[in-house]
Parts: sequence; structure tokens; C-alpha cells
Amino acid sequence: METYDFEKLLLSVQKPGRYSGGEINSVVKDKKEVDVRFAFCFPDTYEIGMSHLGMKILYSQFNSREDIWCERVFAPWLDFEDKMREQNIPLFALESRDSVKDFDFIGFTLQYEMAYTNVLNMLDLAGLPLKSKDRKDLSPIVVAGGPCACNPEPLAEFIDIFFMGEGEEVDLEVIDLYKEYKKKGAAKDEFLLAASKIEGVYVPSLYSDEYNEDGTLKALVPQNNVSATIKKRIIKDLDKSYYPEKFVVPFIEIVHDRAVQEIFRGCIRGCRFCQAGFIYRPVREKSVDTVNRQAKCLCENTGYDEISLSSLSTSDYRAIEPLLNNLLEWTEDSHISLSLPSLRIDNFSEELLEKIKHVRKSGLTFAPEAGTQRLRNVINKNLTEEEILNTCRTAFAGGYTAVKLYFMLGLPTETDEDVVGIAELGQRIVNEFYSMPNKPKGKGVTVSISVSTFVPKPFTPFQFEPQISLEEIRRRQELLKNSITTKKINLSYHDSATSFLEAALARGDRRMSTVIEEAYKMGCKFDGWTECFGPQKWYDAFKKCGLDPEFYANRTREYGEITPWEHIDVGVTKDFLVRENKLAHQNKTTPNCREKCSACGANCYGEGVCFEKR
Amino acid sequence: MKNVRIFYKKLGSMKFVSHLDMTRFMSRLIAKSKIPVWYTEGFNQHIYMNFALPLSLGFEGFYEMVDIRLIDDSYSLDTCLEALKKSSPTDIEFVKIHEGKMPMKSIGFARYELEFESFDFADTLNDFLNKDSILCEKIGKKGKVKEIDLIPKIKSFKITQKGVDLILVAGSEDNLNPTLVIDTFFTQCQIKLCYYTVKRTMIYNLDGEIFE
Repeated sequence: METYDFEKLLLSVQKPGRYSGGEINSVVKDKKEVDVRFAFCFPDTYEIGMSHLGMKILYSQFNSREDIWCERVFAPWLDFEDKMREQNIPLFALESRDSVKDFDFIGFTLQYEMAYTNVLNMLDLAGLPLKSKDRKDLSPIVVAGGPCACNPEPLAEFIDIFFMGEGEEVDLEVIDLYKEYKKKGAAKDEFLLAASKIEGVYVPSLYSDEYNEDGTLKALVPQNNVSATIKKRIIKDLDKSYYPEKFVVPFIEIVHDRAVQEIFRGCIRGCRFCQAGFIYRPVREKSVDTVNRQAKCLCENTGYDEISLSSLSTSDYRAIEPLLNNLLEWTEDSHISLSLPSLRIDNFSEELLEKIKHVRKSGLTFAPEAGTQRLRNVINKNLTEEEILNTCRTAFAGGYTAVKLYFMLGLPTETDEDVVGIAELGQRIVNEFYSMPNKPKGKGVTVSISVSTFVPKPFTPFQFEPQISLEEIRRRQELLKNSITTKKINLSYHDSATSFLEAALARGDRRMSTVIEEAYKMGCKFDGWTECFGPQKWYDAFKKCGLDPEFYANRTREYGEITPWEHIDVGVTKDFLVRENKLAHQNKTTPNCREKCSACGANCYGEGVCFEKR
Repeated sequence: MKNVRIFYKKLGSMKFVSHLDMTRFMSRLIAKSKIPVWYTEGFNQHIYMNFALPLSLGFEGFYEMVDIRLIDDSYSLDTCLEALKKSSPTDIEFVKIHEGKMPMKSIGFARYELEFESFDFADTLNDFLNKDSILCEKIGKKGKVKEIDLIPKIKSFKITQKGVDLILVAGSEDNLNPTLVIDTFFTQCQIKLCYYTVKRTMIYNLDGEIFE
């Protein structure tokens, strides 16, 4: 497309900066000089995708190789998609504006189940058949990775290759193999079969699914002697692994518009609802020196005035205080502010608070997740009410007047008492504020309570659990609303229909592919966006495919049932998940990885927290 | 500490960057270039920047400027310009730098060059711009609609091969956006809407001299 026409088109849509490309640090290469072109697709808007760290890492890493050119692709917003379809403009990559159909690889990162229809929409916009079996040529190969890929089955019909676990090594191994097969003019089947031998690669077309009469999975049978299980890949030494020296700096404001420095992967905690806490095991830290060096480099190359430390639980970084001291040495002089998300309430010390007070003060956010001690024990959120109140006291004394609390409704074993407990906890925090003699003067307190609905996820001890029904979710939301008596508490909750479908998709089997396709054909896309989400279309799609969303979302699974993700090995064993599930039902907690090893199985990687000296 | 005026062109894909995004972009560019600039000392400290005239989204600018303050008097303006050039993307072109010869508030006019996709209404446009008064409705900053006359705000115009060059009042006191002129023209003369590009090519002071 001519630049003139393209610019004319962009001026007719909202936020043209989403599609213009040309940002600082974006990589433009000569397509004749590269062997492999990779379209890295994020199935959501630019603002969301550009905030994603994994994409930044892989984009830079791929482009650090002379023979690969990796470009970015995001889901066009509705207005731009209309124009694209109207004017027959195929899905293009931001850097070259070339159609992604002509790329060697189209790679999707799967962060969220509700983006699945966007994956299909992007394939369709690219002008490609949706199903893997209908794309006969060697290229483009459609690959996918990310946390949702740990249960790949719902997208199995559409994706040629799934990457299990962390991508830095396995992605390049597959690209190298592809180069070899492309050179010798091999067929797609030959390449897929060869790729399936690489550890961490799952080629769904090489497995066939069989079901029992009750609708549960009977077996996923490997064909052509491929391996019956696929083992997740991890990066063993994060100090030696690739980390970008620069990020593409967007022109328009994105969700997380700052430099992001990863400090460790995995989480020692083992909260029983949290998928990330299990699939990223074992915990592996970067050294203080590495973090400091990489963070400085990023700030210098981007000009960002804010850097955020990224991990699942920042205060669990063993050397957090020395790290902050090192960082503050240069960040203050360079007018760079430091933000520490994912702080845990229990080890939030006064010293730490003092340190982050040096930098820009943002809100204080905690995630108790459940309203009563009993239920917090069930979910293994090892956190007492006293600790929560203590931390709030420290924070209030430090000048904070707004606290945000995250909770979930519908956790396993939850009773009305637990629901009311959320309101009571909020009330006690309010009371705590007013009982303090040294409270910030002249200000009131605001406690924001944000409540989501529990979604059971694969590879968690709650993978066996049912989600409560939609009616029950709504009843509990009402109960909570009526339990709040003060205006100092703001209550907000997530849309329950979204959580219900998320639950169905998260633990779906391969038959879910047809439902997703059907929903997509009925017009579903951007399902994570309230303004686009239409649950009725999804229910119709299920009906049309003869499947019941409640079978996937609201059914208790026996320990012995074969799950659709049974063939994926993330290190954590099913035995461990069963043990943890049983402990949950006994209201018993499990110590974190540093207190005591609970033999989850992740030590099979021979690295990380499992081998730390204590 | 000295005040420094940086002149640049905002071209190509940069025209999709709104003014608000531009301020953020410029502050990152300056930070990246490691120029010793002065930061404001308020609650949220940021690089001091004073843009001459915001440029509408979709326009290219050939005579754009921003004032910053250097805290190191020994830091030369040439080094500053080189540092900026080195870290800028292709569609921002830094042109010159000096200490600012005229105060920002003396800005009076700006020149816009408009090109229409198909320009078959030159005579109608000429007649329109030659009228004694062009009344139209302008939506003010607070959303209030008021009627204004465009003619006193159009200093001069010249019909060209593909469109029109307009010199319009500009500045913080009074400002006329060329799209208001053209939209009014399309509506009042019942011309079919037509895509056009806009370049802001020069900025003048109240006396009509090139702004420096």
C-alpha cells in the first residue's frame, strides 16, 4: 500500500499511533538479507500487547540474530478492522507493513483465554485458513506459547506448534530447524514431525483425542511414535540468558508505559488458585549485579523516567534491600522513579516502605484474596489478618490514605461467612485508620475492594474444583454488596459471565476448538473487553456444537480423570496437586519453598530455589 | 542555566503523534540524549519543556520548536544538537538550536500548506476566501459554541497547484486551525468532502517576521 493511502487511512481511525510503527528502537531490516521472517502477534490491542514483557524479550532476542527479522503485530481495533476488511488490507506487521501471510512464522502469545477469538480473527485477517490442516504449505507456520499454552487443547485445531514453557531457547531451536527444512524444500508434515522431537515442542496434529461416554477425555493418542508427554522448557541460569538492552518506546500511551526489569521467575508461595505460581516453577533469581546493570542499560536506551521491577512477588527477592540500595544510587540522580508491584503484605517492612517513599508514591495494593482466615488457609495465602492490619498501619503512618484490596468470590469451600468476611476486613481497615493517633491529617481513608470470580485453572491444586454457578456468583456478589455499610469502602467486581466462559475455556479439551471457531463466526472478538463481549453468542456456539459450558466450568473432576493437559509436564506433578487439593479441604496450609520443600516435582530441572543453600 | 530553543521537523509517521504524546516523546528523547537539562521542582518532577505551538494530529510540521533549559552553561549548543540528532528517529529532524531570540508570546501567525486529493474547486475556494466575512461556529475549550468570523484571522492566502497556502493567526491568545477554514468551506459551499494533507511550514511573530 502506498504511504499516502496508508496515512489517509490512519487519519480516519482512532489512535493511529497503534498502527503507524516507526517507534524508537523498533527494528527495521532488509528483507532480502534475512532467512526467517517472524510475525510476533499479540491477540489484543497495541496498548496491551506493547506492555507485555515476554514479547519485548523475544522480539529483541530474535532480532539480535542477523538471519531473523521479527516484527510486531497487534489485533486491530474494531474501527480499523472495518476499514481493513472494506479495503481488502490484509493483516500487516508494524515494521515493514508487509502482509503477515508471507512470513515464515506467525507466533501468538496466549496470555488470556478471552483472547482466543482474536487469534482466529487475526488469522482470518491475514487471509489464512483458520485450521492447521487447511494450511498446506510449509510457511507460514503458526506457533503459540505463553501461560495459556499449558492447556493447548482448546486451540489445538488452529495452531501448528505450541511452545511449552519459556521461549528463549526452544523458539530459536525450532527456527533453526525450519531454516534447514526450508532450504531442502521439505513439506510441512515432515517439518512438524521433526520439530516435535525438540523438547518443549507440542505438535497437536500428531495426537488424536478419544472420549469416554460421560464426555470426559479417554486418551490423547500419540501418532508416528512421538513422545506421549511434552516437557516444559525453562531457562536455567537467568544471569546468562538474554535480556533486551532496549525496548521499543511507543508514541502513544500504553498500559505499562515504563521500563520493566525482571528480577526472578517463579514464585515460592504456592497459592493454590494461582496458575503462574505453579507453571513457572522452580524459582530462579537474577543476581543484584545483573538486575542493576540491565535496568540501567534499559533506562539509558529508552529515556523512560520510570522503571518497574517485575516478578510474581517482588518482596520475595532475597536481596531486595541491597538491590534497592544499588538502584536508588543512580535512579534518583537520573530522575527515574522506581516502582515495585507485586509486594506481599506479610514481608512489607518499614524499611522497604521507607525506600519506596523516596520514589513516586502510587497507591497501595494488597491481595488478601479471601475474607476469613479459614479460607485464606484453604487457598494457602499464608497471611494473617494481624499482618494485613499491621501493614496498613505502617502504610497509613507513612502517609498513605488509599488502600486497594483484591479478593476472589467462589473459592472452593467458600461460605456466606467468608463472603461477609470480605466486608468485615475492609471495615476493620477503615476502623484501624481512624483509631490511629498519627493518621495523616485532614484526609479520609479510602478502601477499594475489587472482587473477581475464582476461575479454576490447569496445573493448580484447584484444577479439580468446580466454579460456582452464575446464579450463585451473583447471589454472593449481592450478599457482599449488602454487607458493606460504610462509604469509605468502594466495591467493584468483574463481570461474572466472562469468568464463567474463562473457566470453560481454561479447562477445555480439543472439542472446544469448534466452539471457539463457531463463536468467532458468530462475531465474537475482543471478549475480554466489556464493550465487545456478548456471552449469548458464546452460549449459542456451545449449543450448536453440542457441548455444555457447565460441563467444563462447573463440574468436579475426580483425581483419576484424565485432564486435557495430562500430556503436558510442567515439572509440578499431579500427585503434588492432589496432595495440595486434599490439604486445602482440610484447611491446612503448605509452607513456601524456602521454608520447606513440599516435593512438588519442579526440582527435576536441577536449578533454582530447590538447590539454594539455606 | 540558560534557555535553549530547539527547532525540528515533525514528519512522516510522526504526524500520528498527538501533542500530548509528543511531549512525552520529547522528554524521553531528551533523557536518552543525556543533555544536562533542568527539571521542574514540583511534586512530580519532570523535564522543563515549553512548546511553541501544538501541532494537530495528522499535520506535518517543518518549523516546530521547543524551549528547554540547560543547567550546565559550559555545555555547547552544538553538542546539544548533535546529541539530539543521534537519538532521534528518522521522522523527527532536528534543524537548529539557539538561545531563543523572541519570546514565545510574540508568536502571531503560522503558515499552512494544504494539498487536496483532487483539487477541482480552486475558483470556488478563491471566491470563498475573498469574501468580506465568513461566519462559522467554533467550539471553544470549555465546549461552548460561539460564532466567529474567519476573515480577520486569515492574514493572507494563495491558491496553488494542488491546494492553498494559508497564513493564519496563531499563538496562545488567538489561534485558527486550517481545518476549521476548510470544513467551513466544504459545508458552506457544498463541496464534497475531500481528503487533504496539511503542512505547517513557518511560524511568524506579531509583526509578520519569521519567528526565531
